[in-house]
This record gives sequence, C-alpha cells and structure tokens, in this order.
Amino acid sequence: MEKTSSSPVIEVDRLNISYGDFHAVKDLSFQVERGELYALLGTNGAGKTSTLEAVEGHRTVSSGTVRVFGRRPTDRRAVRPRMGIMLQESGFSADLTVAESVRLVGRLSGRSDSVDRVLGTVDLHSKADVRVGQLSGGEKRRLDFATAVYGRPELIFLDEPTTGLDIQSRDALWKAVAELRGNGSTVILTTHYLEEAQQYADRIGLMHQGAFRHQGTVSELTRTLPASIQFSLSPTAPAPPIGVPAADGRAYAIETFRLQSDLKALLDWAAAHDVELQDLSAAPTRLDDVFRAIQTDPALAPTR
Amino acid sequence: MLPIAYSEFAQISRNRAVLISTLMPLAVSAFFIYRRDQFTAIGSTGYVAAALVFTIGAFSLYTTAVTTLAARRQDLFLKRLRSTTAGDATILAGLTLPVSAVALFQVLVVLGVFAAVVGGPADAALLVAGILSAFLMMLALAMATAGLTGSPEQAQVTTLPVSLGTIGIATWVGITGTEDLTLLKRLLPGGSAAELIVTSWNGGVPLAESLPLLLPALGWVVVAIVLALRLFRWEPRR
Repeated sequence: MEKTSSSPVIEVDRLNISYGDFHAVKDLSFQVERGELYALLGTNGAGKTSTLEAVEGHRTVSSGTVRVFGRRPTDRRAVRPRMGIMLQESGFSADLTVAESVRLVGRLSGRSDSVDRVLGTVDLHSKADVRVGQLSGGEKRRLDFATAVYGRPELIFLDEPTTGLDIQSRDALWKAVAELRGNGSTVILTTHYLEEAQQYADRIGLMHQGAFRHQGTVSELTRTLPASIQFSLSPTAPAPPIGVPAADGRAYAIETFRLQSDLKALLDWAAAHDVELQDLSAAPTRLDDVFRAIQTDPALAPTR
Repeated sequence: MLPIAYSEFAQISRNRAVLISTLMPLAVSAFFIYRRDQFTAIGSTGYVAAALVFTIGAFSLYTTAVTTLAARRQDLFLKRLRSTTAGDATILAGLTLPVSAVALFQVLVVLGVFAAVVGGPADAALLVAGILSAFLMMLALAMATAGLTGSPEQAQVTTLPVSLGTIGIATWVGITGTEDLTLLKRLLPGGSAAELIVTSWNGGVPLAESLPLLLPALGWVVVAIVLALRLFRWEPRR
C-alpha cells in the first residue's frame, strides 16, 4: 500500500530494542518528514545506532513498529531502491577496488547512476583502481558515502558520516548532502559532532540511555537552557547590576533566560559608570551545553 | 546474484590464502592418480574416485567457503550486501556460487583425468547424484560452520572436524565397504554419498540397491541446511 507524498518518510512508534538483558532503546517514537534532515544525537551507548539500524532494517525490533515509506524496512525489494545507507563501519571487501565496490553496491541498489559521477562527488576519482584494503580510514568513509548516494536516493541514512574525515572532506560531504536535499532527499543521521547537527539539522532527537531527552528544532532545544553572559571587571570597578563575581572577585558568568534585557542593563550600566567589560561574551546556549546538561542532570524531563 | 558472484570470484582470485586452499586438493588428487595402483589395491578404483571427490569437497569447497564467508562477515561485507535490495538467499547463493563452480570444475577435471587413465565409471548418472549430494551437504555445512567461525584465521581450526571427518568416513567406507557395520556407515555424514560414488564407479551393484542410498545422502543435505539456518550469522558478535 503506497502512502501519499505528504505522509512521513519515517514513522517510528514505541520502538524497543533489547540485547539479552540490555534494554538499548526504550519506547522511542518519532517521525521524519519528507525533505527533512533529522539528527539523532547522544553519547556512546545512547541507542542511536540501534535505532538507526532498526529503521534501516538491519536490527530486529523487540516491540513497536517502524515504517519507511509506509512499509516495513525489512521489505528490501520495496524500500531499498528508495534509500541509501552509509554504515557506521564501512563493510567493504579489502580485495575489491574502489570502482568495483561502488559498481557492486550500485547495481544491487536498484538505482542507476554512473560510478564516475559518484566517485567525483567524494573526490575518489584518483583511487578508482586502488584496492579498498589500501585506503585510509577517511577514504573508506568517503567510499561509504559514495555508495549511499549512488542514484540519488530519496532517503539517505548517515551513521556518523564525518567521523575520521579531515575538514575539507567534511565540507565536501555536507556540500553533497546539500545538493541531494536540493533534489528533495530526506536525510537521517547520527553524529558526535554537535556543531554539525546545530548547523545542518532541521530537527534533533537527543537520546540518553535509550530514550529521548529532547526532541525538536535546535532553537527549541537551546531555549530550554539559559543563555550565558561572561565578562571580567578591574578590581577598582563598582559592583555590576547583575551577577555575582567568581572567587577571584573579577570574573562573572551569568546564566539568564532574558539575554536581551540583561545584556542591555549590563551595557547601560557599563556606559554610565565608564567601566570596561573585559573579555565580554554573550551567547545563546550551544547544543554542547544541552548535551552536557542531560548527563549531569538526570532529572531533566523528556519533552515528549 | 550474478553481480555478487562476479565480485566474489574477483576476491577469491586475488586472495593468496584462499587460492592455496583451493589449489592444494589438486596436488593431493595428482598424488592419488599417480599412485593409483597402490590405492586401488587397498580399496578399489571406486575408492580412489570417492577419495578424490571428498578431498576436493572438503578443501576446495567446504574449507574455502567457511574461510570466505567468515572473512566477508568479519569485514561487514555481508552487512553491506544486506543494505541493498538483495535478499538473504540471493546473497548466500552469490557468495558461494564461485567456490561451488570451482570445486565442480576441479572434480570434472580430476575425475576426467582419472577416467582417462583407468577407464570411466559404470554408472555416470549415479556418480553425479553421489557427487552433488556430497557437495550440497558440504556447502550447507560450510554455512553452519561459518556461523561458529569468528575470522578467516579461525577457519583453519573450525573446519578440521568436518573436513577430516568426512574424508575419514569416505576412506573408511571406500576401503572396508559396507558389508559390516552397514547401518552406521550409511548413516554417517558422507557415508552413503561415498558408497554411491564407489559403487557407481565400480559397477556390479543393481540400481535398485544403490538408489536407496540417496535417502540418507539427501537426509544429510537437509540436516546440514537446518544447521546452516540455525547457526549462520550475518554480523560479527558485538
């Protein structure tokens, strides 16, 4: 049964995955809409890859339902021609060349494309006839990405795509992802690099110990934690209107949910008293801080 | 299936360790054929034929298949193939087609040479049935053993019980015949297949007596497939 184009590309409902006694994923529900870039974030062992592999059709679910394009992900003939998968670990035979590996996986993908074009997108042209066993770790990741985007699939899975890549390769990969998204592709990824999720993801699912701690847009997430204002004063300066100094009596670190008004008050005060705010910085909470917060604050409630 | 088989053939032909395990039985076969008079005196020409078939089946087919399947799982190539549209049966068929074809080709050549030297088999059709049942059993046992084999290096050890065991059984049946301990010999894995090969080469046994041997031979194929389904693993243990 084919669903209409407006229905979600991925639907996960009360997903549970257990390995023996270990409950890796607990009652996880989320949807990914067409054209979205959805990032699963979390610490090691949070259940990101287990979740992603269940959606890919690689992992047996203990309970709950997973649908991709309205189908079971294990229905390979129906769903795989529409999706490309970049595994966390490459999975290529050391004895095949780069071009042979792309050609094999490409032919089995059910899509058509040219090996040359795909190798071009990851700058592996010069390695086409090199055996995979002789590639560096970063080159293997690029090869993996190349096979995932063969034939420009509608849905792309990226499991920690930029781990081990240098900065140029990372930029090139995100450029390729942007092009695919320009064609309407949906992307779901896991990553350790929070700045990447912050920069590229439309929505984020933040996992901790197998469950979501937060789910939403980056700004929704960062809004749940205070912004921060930091500065230092000379020892002779009067006391500022907000904040308490650190032990040295000079450095201030203020957490606030009213960044704009508190910052204005501070700047007005500094101007009125002709005080220099040394090393001044004011910024919304970074995703890193959200990330650290869930590890130090077990009581932080899930948003859904 | 063919793209997988083609890539698998390329991988086998580029891997020295696999090439050696595939070529070694040819050297053993050459020795058997060269000293055929002594071996025929111990058993019969049919015994030599069975020894040739089981040597190739145990090493070119069984050991090579276990080694390559363990290697493909270890480097996650199996998982990669399962990320495509290919079904599990297609993947396994594609991966084992080249080793099966190489082993069948070797048997054809070696038995062809042997037949040219000592004369052909009495019943070629029955010989083919015996060889195919033995090879199907070895192939399914290879998938089962691969499930218990963590790496291609481990395969050097994990394959020994089945490879040496089946050669031992074929040798025992080939040399001593099945007059005594008939039931035991016919029920052992490869026992009936070996007897089929021996009698189909030597002749002198009515077809009505030989045909029932296909039952235990195919029974072992079924047992081996059940073991393969239970033991085969697609991903390394975490």
